[in-house]
Amino acid sequence: MGKTILEVRDLCTKYITRSHEDVYAVDHVSLSLEEGKSLGIAGESGCGKSTLALSLMGYYFPPLHYSSGEIIIDGRSITGMDPDTVRKTILGTEIAYIPQAAMNALNPTQRVIRFVEDVVRAHRPGTGKKEIYDMACARFAELGLPPEVLEKHSVELSGGMKQRTVIAISTILSPKVLIADEPSSALDVTSQKMVIKMLRSLMEKGYIKGMIFITHELPLLYNVTDDIMVMYAGQIVERNSARGMVFSPLHPYSKGLMGSIIVPEEGVREQKLTSIPGTPPNLKHPPRGCRFAERCAYVVPSCRHNEIPMLELEGGHTYRCGHSAQHLREMYQDEQK
Amino acid sequence: MKGYRRYFRKKIFWFLITLAASILLNFILPRLMPGDPVAAITARVAMGMNDASAVRRIYEEYARQFGTDKPMLQQFVMYLQNLLKGDFGLSFSQYPRPVADIISSAVGWTIGLQLPAIIVGWMLGNLLGALAAYIRKGFDRVVMPVSLFVSNIPAFGMAVILLVIFALRLKVAPISGAYAYDMIPNLSWAFVRSVFRHYQLPFWSIVLTAIGGQAIGMRSMSIYELNADYVKYSRFLGVPDRKIVGYVFRNAMLPQVTGLVLSIGTMIGGALVAEIIFSYPGLGSALLTGITRLDYPLISASTLIVTLMVLVVTFVLDVIYAFIDPRVKAAQFD
Amino acid sequence: MRNTFRQVFHSPRFVTGFVIFIFLLVTLIVYPLVSPGDPLEMIGLGSFFKPGTYISVLDAAGTPAQTLKLPDAADKRLSSMLSESDRVSMLRWLTAVGVPESEIDLQDTSSLLKLWRENYDAKARPKGMTMSDRRFYQRLDEQLESAGSAEALTLMRQDEAGENQEVGRVSGTDYVNVKDVANVRTLPLGTDNFGRDTLKELVSAMGTSIRIGLIAGSIATCIGLLLGLLSGYLGGFVDDLIMFFMNIFTVIPSFVILILITYSIGQAYRGADTVAIVIGLTSWVWTGRSVRSQVISLRNRDHVNLSRLSGHSLMRIILTDILPYIASYVVMAFILQISSGILAEAQLSLLGLGPRTTEVPTLGLMMNWAMLYSAHINGAWWAYFPVILVITLITFSLNLMNTGLDQVFNPTLRD
Repeated sequence: MGKTILEVRDLCTKYITRSHEDVYAVDHVSLSLEEGKSLGIAGESGCGKSTLALSLMGYYFPPLHYSSGEIIIDGRSITGMDPDTVRKTILGTEIAYIPQAAMNALNPTQRVIRFVEDVVRAHRPGTGKKEIYDMACARFAELGLPPEVLEKHSVELSGGMKQRTVIAISTILSPKVLIADEPSSALDVTSQKMVIKMLRSLMEKGYIKGMIFITHELPLLYNVTDDIMVMYAGQIVERNSARGMVFSPLHPYSKGLMGSIIVPEEGVREQKLTSIPGTPPNLKHPPRGCRFAERCAYVVPSCRHNEIPMLELEGGHTYRCGHSAQHLREMYQDEQK
Repeated sequence: MKGYRRYFRKKIFWFLITLAASILLNFILPRLMPGDPVAAITARVAMGMNDASAVRRIYEEYARQFGTDKPMLQQFVMYLQNLLKGDFGLSFSQYPRPVADIISSAVGWTIGLQLPAIIVGWMLGNLLGALAAYIRKGFDRVVMPVSLFVSNIPAFGMAVILLVIFALRLKVAPISGAYAYDMIPNLSWAFVRSVFRHYQLPFWSIVLTAIGGQAIGMRSMSIYELNADYVKYSRFLGVPDRKIVGYVFRNAMLPQVTGLVLSIGTMIGGALVAEIIFSYPGLGSALLTGITRLDYPLISASTLIVTLMVLVVTFVLDVIYAFIDPRVKAAQFD
Repeated sequence: MRNTFRQVFHSPRFVTGFVIFIFLLVTLIVYPLVSPGDPLEMIGLGSFFKPGTYISVLDAAGTPAQTLKLPDAADKRLSSMLSESDRVSMLRWLTAVGVPESEIDLQDTSSLLKLWRENYDAKARPKGMTMSDRRFYQRLDEQLESAGSAEALTLMRQDEAGENQEVGRVSGTDYVNVKDVANVRTLPLGTDNFGRDTLKELVSAMGTSIRIGLIAGSIATCIGLLLGLLSGYLGGFVDDLIMFFMNIFTVIPSFVILILITYSIGQAYRGADTVAIVIGLTSWVWTGRSVRSQVISLRNRDHVNLSRLSGHSLMRIILTDILPYIASYVVMAFILQISSGILAEAQLSLLGLGPRTTEVPTLGLMMNWAMLYSAHINGAWWAYFPVILVITLITFSLNLMNTGLDQVFNPTLRD
């Protein structure tokens, strides 16, 4: 087992709406990431995965608020740190972020190099222009971007170029953990592959030590990450190795999520394509008991009353369901027939 | 510079087209009057005149100027030739002073008053709007309704209110004119001081009218920009807030420049009427004189010059915009 | 649909604007019922009578009086007689004989008179006073004495022979109840330069101006909507042609065209409705542009394509697949057009190009008259300030409604 570089314990964050209602978007999430590993987080849109990505950085601004839990990066707890210290010493240097909409992530009226300067100087004040330029050139070249890109405005770049530019800027200070929030969802298949390749190569070269990759497209995760976590209604419902998750999902929601996509792998391909009926619950008033109960095909009355804990199986496989693993597998097998 | 060629060519093309259109309108609208326009104008000018030969003279002067006895096309050519020579004919209210003479003295006052006032109003409005968007609570709640209300006071209303408060009640500013009535324009200190004192009320009434609308526009633009993806991204990369506010301010300003381009005509129109309240000797007052004294050549020339001013300002703003918004340059390569 | 209405009426901006506008409309309907009569009737002989209640002197004198002994009556009478310049003259005398200026309060009549009685001496010769000055003060003193002691007025009537016959006496303690006086007229906003009841005129003018706004707004919105739809939906040559004109009229200020047209029409043909129509004809460009861009963004949406593939007619596509989606923009544009129409009329009138003056009052014409007769310099605030206030309130309420709608339909701007 490698060194743990990111550990999150019972993290809870909430949105406070304009009408002063609380929306519990991230509810008691715990996770850990080892050096050299990558973790995928999957779920439908609105299940809280993007919010989790933002919450992991320990830097909150309205409407997102911290409520409880702890974040430990490389052995150092950042919970309770003064926000300005987090901004200066954690963001970008310890933990960095690639946003969902890379297309609009760059200020349209600013030259790329000016933004790189702002980012670098935010953490290393007084760094010279020349030094930053050289640094940027090297990292950009690493990602196959010519140095001319630095002198351009984002509007002059193509979609793929923008994507790579964003990746280059996010990793320019070699952060330990990189959180990529659906960085490829707006791209075509070829560009998606490119992005994933780049992120992997960045990790292999040691520019980043660990990666969290968020997406609603499970097949992408199978190719990219070592482990996969499935999120539903602000909670983690299952965590397993990528292979385990794709080929034998245990939680009914994970199974539903797998059933709704086509995986180009032997064995899985033969399965029927299904979709999960219904929509995720309103997190202003989360239901008691299992949050998936309303949509679950295997629901029993006790699901709606009892708080369901995370259960641990062998090999770090965890899940959150009222049924035992064996019972679930039996039910799935019955269905196959 | 090279990248802008297409943009500028397009802008110059439109400048010329609109210029041609406004000259054409200026020529054609009065001629669309039902009946003999010259007779109609003469009848109005000659109202109350008993001297038949004077009426006749007026008729002939108009007929000469309009060239109504000739075909429309020839009239237009004549009109253009006169325009090129800067000849707008003779004024009827201040006969035989050439209209060009009246206009050229008015233009200076109008530009000197309105250009700085609109620029200052625009800048102050943007500043207030950005502050309202950034600070939100309290400030936003006070500044917004007040701006909304103030922006709805018409320019002439603002002019009257300022005039009554500062000139008549507090007696800290003169009531009307651009300089003391007993002075002859010259470059002495006393004259400059007088001009400055007379400048204040018209200036601030235009500024105050402009501020509200700009502040409201800037506030929504800034709120829109504050929610943009690049703001979130910059924040999560640890870029300090004051830098981000800089990005937002700049980006929200750009649509405000476009907004100014689109509203400059209306603003100048309102400001011309405000000029009248102060009897400021600009184009607004020239226009009023033309209308009340039935001096058609003066009206025609004033409206043409106002249009020309708006066209030039619009063109200049378009050029400036091209340099401050890189998207214009990027669009060249599409 | 109902949900949209509920949302709209939950927006505080919209509701505030709506309430103000409805209040104005109710005033418009109710006030003429309460106070009927022709708003343009010239009731006052002279201009700019102050706001207040006017009581017929003849009727008051003929009304049986009651006696009221009010202690401050004499002082009040004197203070209303003492003009500002008399007070300043008194100050000059008092300071000349050595009363410190700080002790004199010009507005407090009783203390001023007390000081005067203590310090005035007809025989004194203060420094710097000329002979004529001293005569002036003598006359002033006599006036003050007689005014203070004037106990009664004799009412006379001339009979057929031309002889004056005493018909009654009025003493300083005689009062009549306003309710008993036959002819009393309250003019809450006084009269204008022509001697017309300003409030009645204002309400009527507000009606005309709102009507002008509605006519101009409807015309501008219809033209803009039509051209925007054609240009945006059809594209191609039609779009190029319409855009050509839109581009031209965006830059050429509409008020210039407005001035040229209204001037060309001539005052004789310029009724309120004509002006409204001309305003409408010159201000459609904004609506046209925004409708066009909305339609372009809608044109290739799936539901429109589907409708087109199903062979629906152009009319039907526009009515069912496009109009409902741009309705909110059109309504917002219409609201803005109303307020800019009202403003345009006011500005035209100030330039002397408003509707002809004999038929109906408009807010612009009232403002124009007030300015022509220098109401602001004469201190007749009631002739111009209410007009400015009403224009501001109308446009303010309309713009509030507009921003309220904007917040509902463009949620990114919501706060």
